[in-house]
Amino acid sequence: MSSTAETAPSENQPGGTLESLMGPMVPVMHQLTRLVVLLFMVTTLLFFMLRLAGDPALVLAGNDATPEQLEAIRAQYGLDKPLFIQYLNYMGNLLQGDFGKSLASGEPAMGKVLTMLPATLLIAGLAMAFSIIVAIPLGAWLGFKPERADRRGVSGIIFVFQGVPGFVTALIFIQIFAVNLRWLPSLGMEWGTIMEWAITESLSIPIPVPSKTWILPAASLAWFLMPSLTRVVAANTAEAMREDYIRTARAGGAPASALLWRHALPNALLGAAALIGTQFAFLMGGAVITETIFAWPGIGWLLIESTQTLDFPVVQSLALCIATLVFTVNALTDLSFQFLDPRLRTKGN
Amino acid sequence: MVKPVVRIDDLRLEFLSQAGAFEALKGISLEIGEGEIVGVVGESGSGKSVTAMNLLQLLPRTKINVPTGTISVLDHDVRAMEEKQLQHIRGGEVSMIFQEPMTALNPVLRVKDQIDDVILRHKDVTPEEAEEMSLKLLADTKITDPRRVYESFPHELSGGMRQRVMIAMAFSCSPKLIVADEPTTALDVTVQAQILSLLKERAQKTGTSVLLITHDLAVVAQLCDRVYVMYKGEFVEEGTTKDVIGNPQHVYTRALLNSLPEGKPPKSRLATVAAAMLEGGSENVIDEPIEQVTRVARTGDTILQIQNAVVRYPKEYNLFGRPITFHTAVDHVTVEIKEGETLALVGESGCGKTSLANAVVGLNTLADGAILYRGKNILDHDPDTKREIQIVFQDPQSSLDPRWPVWKIMTEPLTVGQSPSKAELRDKAASLCEMVGLEPSQIDRLPHEFSGGQRQRIAVGRALSVRPKLLVLDEPTSALDVSVQAQILNLLLDLQDQHGLTYLFISHDVAVVRHIADKVAVMYQSKVVESGESEQVLTAPTHDYTRTLMNAVPSLKRAFAA
Repeated sequence: MSSTAETAPSENQPGGTLESLMGPMVPVMHQLTRLVVLLFMVTTLLFFMLRLAGDPALVLAGNDATPEQLEAIRAQYGLDKPLFIQYLNYMGNLLQGDFGKSLASGEPAMGKVLTMLPATLLIAGLAMAFSIIVAIPLGAWLGFKPERADRRGVSGIIFVFQGVPGFVTALIFIQIFAVNLRWLPSLGMEWGTIMEWAITESLSIPIPVPSKTWILPAASLAWFLMPSLTRVVAANTAEAMREDYIRTARAGGAPASALLWRHALPNALLGAAALIGTQFAFLMGGAVITETIFAWPGIGWLLIESTQTLDFPVVQSLALCIATLVFTVNALTDLSFQFLDPRLRTKGN
Repeated sequence: MVKPVVRIDDLRLEFLSQAGAFEALKGISLEIGEGEIVGVVGESGSGKSVTAMNLLQLLPRTKINVPTGTISVLDHDVRAMEEKQLQHIRGGEVSMIFQEPMTALNPVLRVKDQIDDVILRHKDVTPEEAEEMSLKLLADTKITDPRRVYESFPHELSGGMRQRVMIAMAFSCSPKLIVADEPTTALDVTVQAQILSLLKERAQKTGTSVLLITHDLAVVAQLCDRVYVMYKGEFVEEGTTKDVIGNPQHVYTRALLNSLPEGKPPKSRLATVAAAMLEGGSENVIDEPIEQVTRVARTGDTILQIQNAVVRYPKEYNLFGRPITFHTAVDHVTVEIKEGETLALVGESGCGKTSLANAVVGLNTLADGAILYRGKNILDHDPDTKREIQIVFQDPQSSLDPRWPVWKIMTEPLTVGQSPSKAELRDKAASLCEMVGLEPSQIDRLPHEFSGGQRQRIAVGRALSVRPKLLVLDEPTSALDVSVQAQILNLLLDLQDQHGLTYLFISHDVAVVRHIADKVAVMYQSKVVESGESEQVLTAPTHDYTRTLMNAVPSLKRAFAA
C-alpha cells in the first residue's frame, strides 16, 4: 500500500476494508467457492461409489488374467495400496490437471469427454431453444384465460404428454418420421455444412446449414422440458393476470394484448427462468437416453459405454464435466433473474 | 341544472358462483356533479369497491349478473358498451387510483413506461411529447426530482412516491372523473395527509370530479362535499358531509361514528356496530348513553425496563456469509412500564416499533442494551417467568394456522414443555373463549369460519392461555374495520381491568393510542423522540415530529373547525 493512500482520509472509513474493495466481485467469488465445493463432493462420492461397483484391475487385465497378472497390474497402477491412499493420489493428480487415462483406449480421459461434449451441447441447446420457443407463447395463451374450454383441452393434452416417458416419444418419432415417412434419418450424427452466400464478388457470408440428423434427437430431448415449462408459464401467467397491476393497466384502458404481453408475461417469465435452470440437470439425464436411442456420439452415450466397461477415469471426468455444466447453467439462470427482475438488480453504490 | 358526470340508477349486482348468487349491490343510486368530490364510506364487504369497479365495467362480465340498473358515465351507457369502447374511456375520460401502491404498479416496468403508455394510448402525441407531459405531471404532484422518478422502477420509490405516480397517471389524460379506491389506506398518516391534500388540490385545479371510496370517516370529512354511507350493499344515508357526520340520521351511521375512539373519554366503552344493528336497527339503541365504566389505573412496581436497546439487521454479507453492514432498526431506546399500565409505542412504518416489540418477547436479539423483566434480564429468567410475557400480532388472517381448530390454537402455549390431556386443553379453550367473548361451543371450528374481529379474539385468547402478566400488542386492530376495532379495544380494556394486565401497545393510530394508553413513547427513525403521560404528549407535544404526526392525523373535529 502506498504512503499516500495511508494518509488519505478515506482510509479510516469502512469503505477501505478488503471486503468492500472486492465488493462487485463477491457474488462471483461466492459462486466459484460453491463450484469448488460441489466438484470436490462429486469426485469424492463417485470415487468410492465406483470402487463398490467393481475392481479396475479386472477391467484392465481382462477376464482371462491369471492372479499373477492381476497382482502386477495392481502394483503398476497403485491399486494395491489402501483405498484412502489411492483416493489421495487421485485427488493429487486431479489438482495437477491429470484426470487419468481411459482404461479402455488409453487416451486421456478428459480429452475423450471434451471431444464428445460439443455434440451433446448441440442437441441440448437445440432442445432447450425448441422448448422455450414453443412453451412461452403456448403457456401465455393457456394462462391468459385458463377457464376457457379450449385451453382446458390443450392443458389436458400437455398433461398427458408430460406423463409419456422420453424414450417412448423417441421411438414413436422414429417409427413415424424415419420408418413410415422416411423423411428423417433415425441414427447417427453429422455436423451441418457451411454454405457460402455470395453477396458481391468479393464478399460472401458463411451460413451454417443444419443437418437433418439433428431434428429427431433434438425434438425427443425437447420433450423432457417442454410440457413442464409450458405448464409453469401458464400457471405463472394466470397468477400474474390476477395481480393488482393488471387491474391498474385495465383501468388505464390497456387492451387485452397489452395486458398479456406487456404486463403479465414478463412477470410470469421470472418463475419460468428458475425452472429452465433446474431442468437442465434433467436434460442431461434425458441426453443419456436420447443419445443411446439415436446413436448420437455425445457424452450421454459415452457415459453409458464407459459405465458398462467400468472405465473409471472416463466416468469420473464425465461427472466433473456434467456437474460443472449444470452448475454453470444454474449460475447463469441466477444472473438472468437480475436481467428479468429489476428488483434484484443491485444499485451501483 | 348541470348534467351529472356519473349517474347510477337502482343498480343491483350479484356475484355468481357454484354456491349460488350473492347479492353485492341491492339497488343503489348515486350522482356525481361536475367538479364534485363525493365519498362512499363503508366497512369491508359493504360493496363500496364493487361500486367503484363496476363504474368502468372492470368486474369479469361472466361472473356477475346485473338484474336491474343503469350506469351513465359522461352520458355513455357503460353497461351497453363494447370492451373496445370502454378501453377508450378507461384512463381517458375516467381514471382510477387504487389502494396498494406496492402492487398496483407493474414491478418490471419503469414508471416512464407505465405513464407514457396511458398517454400514448389516449392522445395523439409522439413519444417525445408524451415524455414531456409525464415529467410535467410528475412535477405537478410535487415530486421534486421528476426525472429520477420517471426513470425509476416502482420498487425504488417509497409508498408515498408511488401513490404520487398513480395520481400523475390518473390525471394524465385530463379526465372528467377520478375514482379513488382507498387511495391512502396503505400509507403512513403524514404521507396520507400530503396525498389527500394533493388529490384535492389537483381535482379543484382541473375541475375534475372525484369518487372517493374509503372506510375512514375522518378522510371523508376532510375531503368530500357529499357522502354516501354504505352498509351491506345499500346506501343507508346520503347528504352533504357536514349533515351526515354532524347530524347522522341512520342508526348505522351513528354507530359507525360512535365506534371511533376520537372524541370519546379515554378508556370508555365504545359503541359497536354489531350491537347497534343486532337490536333490529331500532333508533333508540344509539340514543342510550354508552355504558360508562370508570377504570382506575392500578399501577404497581416497574415491570419492564428497556435500557438502551439496539436491534440491528444484517444488510450485506461477505464471502463467508458473515454480515458486514447493518441496518439499525432500534437505536438505543430506553422506556419502562409499570405493572397494570398501558404504554403505547406510536410511530410510522419502518420506525422500529415492531422490532422492539419482537425483542421484548425474544423474537429478536438485542445487539446492545438490555431488557429487564421485574429487574432481571429476560434472557436469564426461567421458562415459567418468560411465559408471563405474551404477544398478539397484527393480522389475524395470517397469524393463525388455517388447519388447526380453535381449541388447539388457543392452548398451544400450554403444551410447551408440558403435556396436558386433550380434555384438559379443550376445557381450558372453552373457558378462554368465554373470557374473550367467543362461543365456547365453537372450539372445534377452523380460523376461516370466523370474522376478522373474532379471529383477533382467538389470538388474544391464545396469548392469555398461559396467564401472562405483560401482553405485547403489535397493531392488534389495524387490520380490522373501525366498528370491530371498537369491540377489540373494549375487550382489551375489560381484560386489563379484570386481570390487572400490563400492555405494551404498538400502534400507528394516534386516536387509538389516546384512547387506550396511559403513557406514550413516540418513535421516529429508530429512536424514541418523546415520551410521557399520553394526555400530555398527545395534547402538548414538544418534539417537531410528534407535532407533525398530530397535525397529519385526519380528524372529524378539525375537519369541521376548518
